[in-house]
Amino acid sequence: MATKAVGKAGAKTGGTGRFSQDERRRDSDHVSFLKHRGFRWLWIALLLSGASIAGYLLIDQEPRSNGGTWYGYTLGTIGFGLILWLSLLGVRKRRINPGAWSLKAWTSAHVYLGLALAVVGTLHTGFQIGWNVHTLAYVLMLLVIITGIYGVIVYATLPASLSANRKEMTRAQMLDALTALDRQLESAAQPLARGEADLVIAALKQDVFHGGVLARLTGRYPRCATAIAMVCLDGGSEAEKRVEALLVKRHAQLQQIRGALRIRAMLEIWLFVHIPLTVALIAALTAHVISVFYYW
Amino acid sequence: MFLIRTIDFTAAGREIVRDRVLGQTRLTVGRAAENDIHLPDLAVEQHHVGIDLAADGTLAVKSLGTLGFGLDGRIVTEGVIDPRTGGEVALGAARLAVTREADGNIAITIRQVVADEGKIDALRGFALASKLPGKRAMSWVFASAIILLLLALPVASHLLRTPAKPDPTGKTPGTVLMDSAWTSGELSLKHHTLADNCESCHVAAFESVQDETCLSCHKDIGDHAQKPRLAKGMAPLSQGDALQWMIAEGFGKEGPLGCVACHSEHEGPVRTQAGSEAFCGDCHKDLDARLTDTALGNAHDFGKTHPQFRPLYFASFGAAKPVRASVGSVPVERSGLVFPHDVHMNPRGGAARMAVSLAQYRAPLECKDCHVATPDKVTFKPVEMEEACEACHSLVSGRTAGGGLSKLRHGSVKNLAEDLARITSGPRPALVPGRQRPGQIGSASPAYRADFGRPVRSYIGFSNALTAGGVCTECHLPTRGPTGQADLMPVNFPDRFLTGGYFSHAAHAKQRCSDCHAADTSKAASDLLMPDLKSCRDCHLGAAAVKTAKIVPSDCAMCHAYHLPSGQWSPKGPTPHYKPPPPDKSRVAAKLAQARP
Repeated sequence: MATKAVGKAGAKTGGTGRFSQDERRRDSDHVSFLKHRGFRWLWIALLLSGASIAGYLLIDQEPRSNGGTWYGYTLGTIGFGLILWLSLLGVRKRRINPGAWSLKAWTSAHVYLGLALAVVGTLHTGFQIGWNVHTLAYVLMLLVIITGIYGVIVYATLPASLSANRKEMTRAQMLDALTALDRQLESAAQPLARGEADLVIAALKQDVFHGGVLARLTGRYPRCATAIAMVCLDGGSEAEKRVEALLVKRHAQLQQIRGALRIRAMLEIWLFVHIPLTVALIAALTAHVISVFYYW
Repeated sequence: MFLIRTIDFTAAGREIVRDRVLGQTRLTVGRAAENDIHLPDLAVEQHHVGIDLAADGTLAVKSLGTLGFGLDGRIVTEGVIDPRTGGEVALGAARLAVTREADGNIAITIRQVVADEGKIDALRGFALASKLPGKRAMSWVFASAIILLLLALPVASHLLRTPAKPDPTGKTPGTVLMDSAWTSGELSLKHHTLADNCESCHVAAFESVQDETCLSCHKDIGDHAQKPRLAKGMAPLSQGDALQWMIAEGFGKEGPLGCVACHSEHEGPVRTQAGSEAFCGDCHKDLDARLTDTALGNAHDFGKTHPQFRPLYFASFGAAKPVRASVGSVPVERSGLVFPHDVHMNPRGGAARMAVSLAQYRAPLECKDCHVATPDKVTFKPVEMEEACEACHSLVSGRTAGGGLSKLRHGSVKNLAEDLARITSGPRPALVPGRQRPGQIGSASPAYRADFGRPVRSYIGFSNALTAGGVCTECHLPTRGPTGQADLMPVNFPDRFLTGGYFSHAAHAKQRCSDCHAADTSKAASDLLMPDLKSCRDCHLGAAAVKTAKIVPSDCAMCHAYHLPSGQWSPKGPTPHYKPPPPDKSRVAAKLAQARP
């Protein structure tokens, strides 16, 4: 008992023993980037947002708050720096190099500072919105932040359902299973008449990944040939019954694949907005900054 | 009964099908030769799988070793196949398809599959990227569209354009393409017509709007003070403002005294607001601390700190210029007139009785009988003798040949001399018909006749009228001209008494004149009847005062305007929204100059 207690205390107080070092490493390996170092970046982001709001409320800007007062320029400069730094995550994560740069710390800071950017950027506008390049940059920034929030949420919640959907099958196995069913269908459908055979051919010919982005995100495939064949075959003869049973199996397998596709699409879709809009934002930001001083 | 069908291919690709029938209920599958189904494949165990036909016609497939097998694509160690629907067992490269033949036998078709090289590619289909344009492509498209349309196009057309002229009527659009996307907000109401012509203010690239650009239209704007004095008297900037101006001036902005420092544009369709009390007070509450030689008293709150009024007046007869009253003194105005206000304003006095008897008045005299406000109601028109005085103070000199009355002309000593000479040499009025009776002479007056020295009946000279007791000296002060001839003091009044601020009489219509101007007790024209600060403070206190039925919280802009302190700022109405006063030249009786030979 005594030794255990000592060991625990050693681990807690950050002892230098091999065991406690390993423990700390393992702990940090499994701590989410959101909780990195006791929410360090959350506190920094809250501090930044709080200070920005306090400054906005306390500093009297004449004739009204906007980006052109000294406080507006300060917020704008902070926001500009933040946007550029936040967009460098894509560069940082591709650089696998040793050093004191923790990718987890970067990601943590990316998320929390990105949220603080919404506050800083909004205050920089002075709540003045219009049909112009400045508001375009602001709206793009908000869209990027919103998709980022969505990304954090799906990354935190969806992977669990992704593995639940897989039922211990790899993606390759899911495709194999479909191929196996297809081979059986091919031979089982031999006795069928022309019309029924065509239905089976249509089902077999259709790409597993048939359907667009919307179908992937919603999981609805109204033109799924397998489903159509299932409905149209009324299972009169023995062979038809067999084919129908195989089609049901094929459809079930497709459903599993499509479930995986749906979760995966939901996991990935935000990046298709987040990344291009970030680049668009940097372009709009450039136009915003240059235009403001071009027509000073 | 099992029908085992093995399908092989020859080197030429021809299919070889071999059938054999096994009449047992259990099959074994493996690499070893003694298995019922022998698969020569290293990936397959010696005894890999056992297949048992159950009583209900289903097949129970079970691994014999530790390795699993593929059943319908899934790796399992045991499973059940219903031959009626069929199933497929995968072992290494072999695929065992289980089906039920029409005769009730169970067929197991063995086929070798070629390793699927496209599988990795097929897995890519799981990624959403297979259904969407690439992120990189989208990024390029969006970014280039924004840069081209919203930056390159306006910049290029700005550099290549022929500049458009500023046009306040709004009929000339700017020549820079797409620069409307750069606007940071709507223009103020006064500048709204320039909304399509950005270049009228934003002349050169990366150059802030310059004062000279503003002044190219606003030519007549007044300066609050000279720039160096403004700079010296200005309140120190906050640290943030100081830093911003330091940077901004480094980039060519014209500093906190430039037009745009106060007249910030693109703040929405609003009117420029008058400076607040704090805005004025920033500099004026302790102006003397910085601008040590200033003549202005400190001011920041009308109810608390505001210098005493120092009206403009003529301190000596015939002076060329008026002076400002010094604080604490009682100014003695030397207007050159004799006019006791109390006599004229006494409702029971002789003047009142006379006015009652005159068709023109029919009532005791009131202020407005003589004093007529200017259209802006800020000040009053000069009192004209003919309009205001002559009804009583008649200048009738006799009868004309036509039967009318002849008058001495007012306003010029020279005219007076001519008129008197004419009386002396002219034909005498006929005695008949009708003898002259008292009361016939004078406008409509039955009761009063001016005593102008009886010019008709006795030969009264020019100097009689001008010396004490003469007709002119009823209102004017006699004096001697440069050559010693009889003359009158020039009449001198400034155009405005209070030149540093703006006072609307219209806004005070509910007050009586005598509430502020103590005319009814003034016995001499030398009284300067301008109200003092204290009387204003009866109602007007600073902007921070609480509004009541009597107290009017008054900020600086109620009486002062920035660009011309005596001009009026008004939140509505036609341009200009400040009203410059007429040029400050005092009328040193111009008529007198004519009268002097």
